[in-house]
Amino acid sequence: MATRIEPRDPLTQAQGVEPGYAQTARRWPSQPLVRRPHGAGELSGPRDLAHKLPPVKGDLAGYGAKRALGQLARLRIRVLDEDGAPLPGTVVEVWHCNSAGKYIHPNDTHDAPVDPNFYGAARLLTGDTGLIELRTIKPGAYPVPDTGGWWRPPHVHLSVWGRVWLSRLVTQMFFPGEPLNEADAILNAIRDPGARERCIARLVPSRSSAHQNEMIFEHQLVVRGRKGTAVMP
Amino acid sequence: MSRLVPTAEMTLGPFFPREFAQQASDLAGDFSAAIEITGVVTELDGKPLDNVILEIWQADAAGRFDNPGFSGWGRAATDARGVYRFRTIRPGAAPGRAPHVNFLILYSGLMRQLQTVMFFSAAPDPVLNVVKAKERLIARQSGNTYTFDIRLRGGEETPFFDD
Repeated sequence: MATRIEPRDPLTQAQGVEPGYAQTARRWPSQPLVRRPHGAGELSGPRDLAHKLPPVKGDLAGYGAKRALGQLARLRIRVLDEDGAPLPGTVVEVWHCNSAGKYIHPNDTHDAPVDPNFYGAARLLTGDTGLIELRTIKPGAYPVPDTGGWWRPPHVHLSVWGRVWLSRLVTQMFFPGEPLNEADAILNAIRDPGARERCIARLVPSRSSAHQNEMIFEHQLVVRGRKGTAVMP
Repeated sequence: MSRLVPTAEMTLGPFFPREFAQQASDLAGDFSAAIEITGVVTELDGKPLDNVILEIWQADAAGRFDNPGFSGWGRAATDARGVYRFRTIRPGAAPGRAPHVNFLILYSGLMRQLQTVMFFSAAPDPVLNVVKAKERLIARQSGNTYTFDIRLRGGEETPFFDD
């Protein structure tokens, strides 16, 4: 059965220009976005993405003398569609800063130190139950330049493909109990408290002795799309 | 079954890893009839933007989206001058549609993805038809190069779609 994409809910999705985030007023379109009919192109998507975007770096924390600084964390992230069906074989890209709040990107001008043992970018494929598991370190917080005191809380960037072109999801995962979560202009651009809560991972006890020195964070991502007949209005 | 709410989209941020964007801008591969799609991405006041991520999705030369021999998906990043480039083939017309290339734009300061569509001509099309400033979605052709500039806000603002 074909995939159906329903309009975004303004309570659970950011709406564009945010007063606490000045760049949004220079970049989000001033004209209203136009609704369009969905056909074969919008409701299909690449099937061989893992060939074009092969998995890289399944472990960002390293071991022994090559271990990255910071608290070891194991991220367990499950990808589902709106019907709750897991998406196996989907590409997931993950990137985050080091434990001092510095990205590997050359455009990051923050004067926090680089960690020579940390490379903050990974690409994984979901398994049969839609799950990826990534061993890494917990990222630090960092100040956003020229904003008069906005600090980004620790967060992990995630990029996911769903079943079709319109189900692409780029988002961020936050950590529980972080005081900076309360004031973050990006997390709080989501008006619905429940939708914000679902962007914060859950810390779970590590029952397995193999992972006793890791903080285990579970998280769920829901990509757009339900089973249904595509209608060309 | 009850419906799950799609996860809130959030900005890509300024530090999307360079290498993630460097491997997928050539869709044409060994196809001989390659074209280039290029353009500049600008913000309010026309300032070009560095490290904008653009992803495309298009049909094959016969207008099909399910050709196992041609993957119509690609990704490119803008350079410090705001310029992106794709090497691809010219898509055919899918049933009921004019030839087109779907664009998705991700960037710091964009709270969620933006979607637009590049057309090769003003041929009748149900998606082009819902847009007022149609001419801004039609690429300028020069030989095998098609130029499609994207203005996020202000001036000759590119029309974007909500889905």
